Amino acid sequence: MAPYWLLSPFLLLFLIFGLFPIGFSFFLMFQAWDPVQGLSSMTFVGLENIAFAIEDPLVWLSLKNTLWLAIVSGLPQHLVAIPMAYFINEFLGKWRNAAMGAYFLPYITSTVAIAIMFSSLFSTDYGVVNVALTQMSEWPLVGWLLPDANVDWLGQAETIKPVVAMVVFWRYVGFNVILYVAAMQGIPRDLYEAGRMDGASNLRLFWHITLPQLKPMMYFGTVLSVIGGLQLFEEPFILTGGRGGLEYSGMTTAMYMYRTAFEFNDFGLASAISWFLFIIIALLTWLTNRAFKDRTGAA
Amino acid sequence: MPKALVALSFALSVLSAQAADVTVTVAAFPAVDEIVKAAAVKWEQKNPGVKVKVISRAYADHHTAMTTSLATSSDLPDVMAIEYGYLGRFAQSGGLVNLSTMDASLEQQLKALVPYAVAQGAFEGFGQVAMPTDIGPGALFYRKDLLDACGASEKDLISSWDGYLKTGDCIKAKTGAALMPHARDIKDIVIRAGVKAGEGVYFDANGKSLVGSAPRFQQAFELAKQVRERGLDAKINAWSNEWGEAFKRGTVASQMMGAWLGGHLANWLAPDTAGKWRSANLPNQAYASWGGTFYSVPTKAENKKEAWALIQYLTRDVAQQQAALEKFNAFPALVQAQEGGSFNAPIPFLGGQSARAQWRESALKIVPTKVFKHDAVAEEILNAELDQVLLRGKSVAEALKDADRMITRRARR
Amino acid sequence: MTMVQKKINTDGAALAWTGRVFLALGGIAMLAPFFFMFVFATHTRADIFSVPPPLFFSDHFFENIQILMAKIPFWRNLGLSLYVGIMATGLTLLFCSMAGFAFVAYEFRFKKALFALVMATMLVPAFLGMIPTFMIMDGLGWINQPRALYLPAAAPAMGIFLMRQYISSAIPKDLYEAARMDGCSEWSVYWRVVVPLLGPAFGTLGLITFIASWNNFMGPLVVMRTPEMYTFPLALRSVQSPVDTEWGALMAGSAVAVIPLLIIFVFSSRRLIEGLTAGAVRG
Repeated sequence: MAPYWLLSPFLLLFLIFGLFPIGFSFFLMFQAWDPVQGLSSMTFVGLENIAFAIEDPLVWLSLKNTLWLAIVSGLPQHLVAIPMAYFINEFLGKWRNAAMGAYFLPYITSTVAIAIMFSSLFSTDYGVVNVALTQMSEWPLVGWLLPDANVDWLGQAETIKPVVAMVVFWRYVGFNVILYVAAMQGIPRDLYEAGRMDGASNLRLFWHITLPQLKPMMYFGTVLSVIGGLQLFEEPFILTGGRGGLEYSGMTTAMYMYRTAFEFNDFGLASAISWFLFIIIALLTWLTNRAFKDRTGAA
Repeated sequence: MPKALVALSFALSVLSAQAADVTVTVAAFPAVDEIVKAAAVKWEQKNPGVKVKVISRAYADHHTAMTTSLATSSDLPDVMAIEYGYLGRFAQSGGLVNLSTMDASLEQQLKALVPYAVAQGAFEGFGQVAMPTDIGPGALFYRKDLLDACGASEKDLISSWDGYLKTGDCIKAKTGAALMPHARDIKDIVIRAGVKAGEGVYFDANGKSLVGSAPRFQQAFELAKQVRERGLDAKINAWSNEWGEAFKRGTVASQMMGAWLGGHLANWLAPDTAGKWRSANLPNQAYASWGGTFYSVPTKAENKKEAWALIQYLTRDVAQQQAALEKFNAFPALVQAQEGGSFNAPIPFLGGQSARAQWRESALKIVPTKVFKHDAVAEEILNAELDQVLLRGKSVAEALKDADRMITRRARR
Repeated sequence: MTMVQKKINTDGAALAWTGRVFLALGGIAMLAPFFFMFVFATHTRADIFSVPPPLFFSDHFFENIQILMAKIPFWRNLGLSLYVGIMATGLTLLFCSMAGFAFVAYEFRFKKALFALVMATMLVPAFLGMIPTFMIMDGLGWINQPRALYLPAAAPAMGIFLMRQYISSAIPKDLYEAARMDGCSEWSVYWRVVVPLLGPAFGTLGLITFIASWNNFMGPLVVMRTPEMYTFPLALRSVQSPVDTEWGALMAGSAVAVIPLLIIFVFSSRRLIEGLTAGAVRG
């Protein structure tokens, strides 16, 4: 009985506040509903919403965008965070906490501030980024790599996605750095000592000792990144002014769902899209589980 | 006897205390919230025992919250401020009071307001559900100094679309400035011209999409394409940093927008360019409106009578409407507020032009268009197709055909 | 758990210094936008939109704050955000540790199914639930009340997941087995044996929960209907007009909004590390 009592707060909260919304949105999937007309205006339409969603080119486009963004912003988060964490852990001594604080800051900023800061930084004619780039394109060695004219970051289909990916990366890489620093702190030093006595270089130590020990944390972090990446909404929303950018290149599925619901007032379709997304997230989470399961047994 | 009297007077005092406790809730967004707050002071003085409470949210949040409230018929304000863009959706929900049921003299009262705005607040089957409080008659704001560099006159600029573009070529050649911020702007105006009575911008009276058939769409797309090809637009989106900066630096020669833009330019967008701008009617005798704020009373509101009284004050009190104009650039929907010395006075920012008189005239010429539930989706689809034409070289005919197909598909829901 | 930090023998100061350089660059990249936010908070609206944008501090901060205070019940909103954050954090720590402990220390029917349920709730995107949530709150009479903000999400799946990982790895089974054998009630085992050892996990989860609660604006948007009851981010948004936003005031408000989070982070960063360490490594 005890475990059930311990779980009761969760269960109670879930039943009241979790189940009903989920059930309601599932129910909505089969209705045509313009919310402004009130609850009684719902009409049953069977599978029509689902059919419409499957045939809707924007749904597929948004899925493509979402997957692209999830990977391009998510993968670097871990690829960069791990070495960074290593450096912070090994080389910074007492500056460690300050560095982590710095890296953690983006995670705690509100989206309003981020919106303004980044639109300003990436502004075509007047943003700091372009000014810096055009200046740097004059430098001898690396100059030829860089554009020498102002890039319309937020106004072109090709550049919106990378910008959004970069902002997402900026926002969450610190979070992952902290996760990994923590994990690395837990690695017993004797392992390193032993390795060093065998004459291993830093790189080999990293590869053969640090990385394998990080697997559990990588699992945790990856699951969070997968789920978070596929649900991306806030950053693309504010960077594209809520519209998805030119040719919808910045529109994620979550954003499309929001617009369908609140701007086009079609809640039935929005529900169908959200369940569609849910299935995809569930699938990918399961795959992630499988990928890590063999190594950690902690699934 | 005395005990009964005491009891009676006690009861009466309790009752009257209750009667005095009416609070009218007004849900609004900036800057309408400020306008209401300012007006509330005077109104409360005139109506002792009634208080006004303003609930303010960001523009989009406000309409989202109102959507939620209308959806559940719960927690509705007494007075709801609605921006024109959302009016169609909210009005046809059946959740707003038909104001003629609140006041038999409504029709008479409406005559005091600008006709097209009144028409925008009325919906077939629902009646007059919204009272206009401010309007945005369209005007062409242009930089006279850039025009002068060409030796062109205002007439050259606005007599026809052709003339507008040709003058733009000249301005570009002589000063390097773009004619307009974005080619989309010209499309937006042209599709609003020539709308027949009873029709909407995108849909005919029966709700069928007009995008594939009405000639104005093709004309709009062709003109926009021309603008882009001739390099006459700066590819800047309205309300972005670049947009504001373009005004400050004079890299954009004209902007078609609601009359209220003048105030914004003067106050914070480009105050240093004072004296260089003028306002003209839209080219090719086009008349259109941008936005506009309305007040409605939800059917489930608690204090409908007081709400209506407040709305009447906000929309028909001359001093109030003019104060809103002076402080917040809200162009009055009340005709009487559009008269008087200060209204006809020259505006220094516009080089001493008495622009308000011009806007007043153009407001009278605007033809109200019917609003449809799917207007937002249609606009979105059309803009996406226009982007394809401008950026990817898609043919106009194909773009319109695709847009028509997608809009029809969406509108079936 | 002590953190033994011996300096490892670097093969070449080169590696160490390369590392530091990268970190410095990275640090600048992380901090730069903040720097701008704080800079913008001290400028007038017109300056912010000028070109080039201001690069250093000006002196309009207090002016901006005053503009903000005139538009919103500043202290009240800030206080409310604080109250909701604290309640959310407290409840979350309690409920998630309870649930986490349940999943670790007991075998029971439906255990796997329940845990799958917990994980599944992480997958559901939030805002389709907006209207049904509003309906529930309305039905309960909780509209415009803070409890509508901190109660529904008081046992988030991520928290349960984290707690479960931590407890299973950092708290030896023998400890609570022993307590049980001594005749302690189950609740005592949880409360007296396990909870005192959860410091680091509490630090981590507490921080994350507080941040999420503080920055949340969707929830308050739906549930809070009068300006006095807005949380701070919502109040900041209400100042945004499509045409006429006081950007300086908004940036100043955003800067103010970040400061409590920074303070809390500074205080809990040590616990954060400890919490994540044990929970994840052996997990």
